[in-house]
Amino acid sequence: MWLRALFGRKGFVCILHKDDDMKYISLWIRVTLQTTQVALASRLGVTLFTVGKLLRFVFFMVFLSLITSKTKTLGGYTIWEVILFFLTFNLIDIIAQFLWREVYRFRSYIVSGSFDMVLTKPISPLLRILFGGSDVLDLLTLVPLLLFMGYVSTQINEITVLNIFLYILLVINGLVIAMSFHIFVLALGVVTTEVDNAIWIFREITQLGRFPLNIYPKAVTFLFTFLLPIAAMISIPTQALLGILTVRGVIICICLSGIFLSLSLLSWREALKRYASASS
Amino acid sequence: MYRTSFILYRVRELLKLFSLYFLWHFVTAQNNDFFGYDQSEIITYLLISTFVGDFIYSTRTTAIASEINEGVLTNFLLRPLSYLRYYFTRDLADKAMNIVFALGEYAIFFSLLHPPFIFQTNASLLLLFLASVLLGVILYFFISVLISLIGFWSNEGWGPRFIFYQVIGIVSGSLFPLDVLPKPVFALLEWLPFPYLIFFQSKVYQGQLPGSEIVSGFLILVVWICIMYVVTRFVWKKGLRVYTAQGR
Repeated sequence: MWLRALFGRKGFVCILHKDDDMKYISLWIRVTLQTTQVALASRLGVTLFTVGKLLRFVFFMVFLSLITSKTKTLGGYTIWEVILFFLTFNLIDIIAQFLWREVYRFRSYIVSGSFDMVLTKPISPLLRILFGGSDVLDLLTLVPLLLFMGYVSTQINEITVLNIFLYILLVINGLVIAMSFHIFVLALGVVTTEVDNAIWIFREITQLGRFPLNIYPKAVTFLFTFLLPIAAMISIPTQALLGILTVRGVIICICLSGIFLSLSLLSWREALKRYASASS
Repeated sequence: MYRTSFILYRVRELLKLFSLYFLWHFVTAQNNDFFGYDQSEIITYLLISTFVGDFIYSTRTTAIASEINEGVLTNFLLRPLSYLRYYFTRDLADKAMNIVFALGEYAIFFSLLHPPFIFQTNASLLLLFLASVLLGVILYFFISVLISLIGFWSNEGWGPRFIFYQVIGIVSGSLFPLDVLPKPVFALLEWLPFPYLIFFQSKVYQGQLPGSEIVSGFLILVVWICIMYVVTRFVWKKGLRVYTAQGR
């Protein structure tokens, strides 16, 4: 039902022939298993890729400890709190990569004309392109991340159950914003065939959320709070966990993600109207 | 041909520059003594290192691995040209294009933010800086080619390259000056090729190295280029023996 509510309404150009959302979920599981099997065919590559990701994580921790070594704080946050911002960024980044991996391959669909075939299938093309290539191996780094997050949380005082609940809620909200960014990228891809750099721009922008946003100038903070809601995606969930967020902040966050998702779906619909099927 | 793609690529580079600048500006505003660097020194170091990195790291040699894997290499082997020289020429053309756009981006950056940047006026240092950048280009070319040549033995050349990117991201000095690291770590790094891709060049520009260290730096750089050249030639010849033109 909720899948149809999000993607299946008339006007969002999604063709849902079956009413049963379970069909989509079972389809997603099947496609995910297939993608994972393909990835497992190159075990060495996957191992090296995972090692590389862990190295990047460790190196960035070194970097964080270096820049906070003199002042012991960054933007008013202690080193552990700063690490929590970084971990939240990683959490959302890992889950987003896992869920929406197929977006990275969308350009080939457009330039080869394969997207035409997706459009003719009796499933939502948006769901197919968004969720059609989830790779479980992307989640390999999630376990050590969550364990480390648990350890960091013990170093910070006064994290309550309510804080944790709000954090989970706002991380899910952050993922909705991340999905909206991916839909914007898909829409751009349909119109211009450009996907790769657009998705990397999204990732560059989200990387700003690795640090507390108050280290940036006010204009930048405003931009990344209201126009490109990186704050709602990464910073505000962390603030909720630290117990420094008001109810008003939570409501604004959820409203922002709703607006962003609506705009992204609108852009997808408009992009599909302009799709020329020129490559096929 | 792919204008949108290129523009977005340059926007990415500009975004990186802005985010790095904001972070370090804030850190050094909190404390103007960052391991002996004041704000203008650290900002100058980072802007120069980003600029040098933009120039040195732009390369087309990443495509070599897939050309080997897909058998496209055969097309080049049949032609009367040196494959590696061809790629070096492509690299130089790529760098020339990137440098023009990077200059434009830096002009925008400077006009918007007026960063506390130290302009080097010493002609000798500027010449040494240019020489070190050119040598860095050659060194990076051989390292990058060497990684791509893994394609002769494996279809998974992207794995080692990904690890390589993570390693040079930190040990070449593109995030912070390497001499802020503990002395034993820095002393070890000095013997590796990575600091001679960005860190050494930036320090030469800033005039923060005594004459003896400049000389020894250039010597190590040249020695690494020679080593990488010999190893690359060796691996290239070995690779050609096992090359099966698979995919053609």
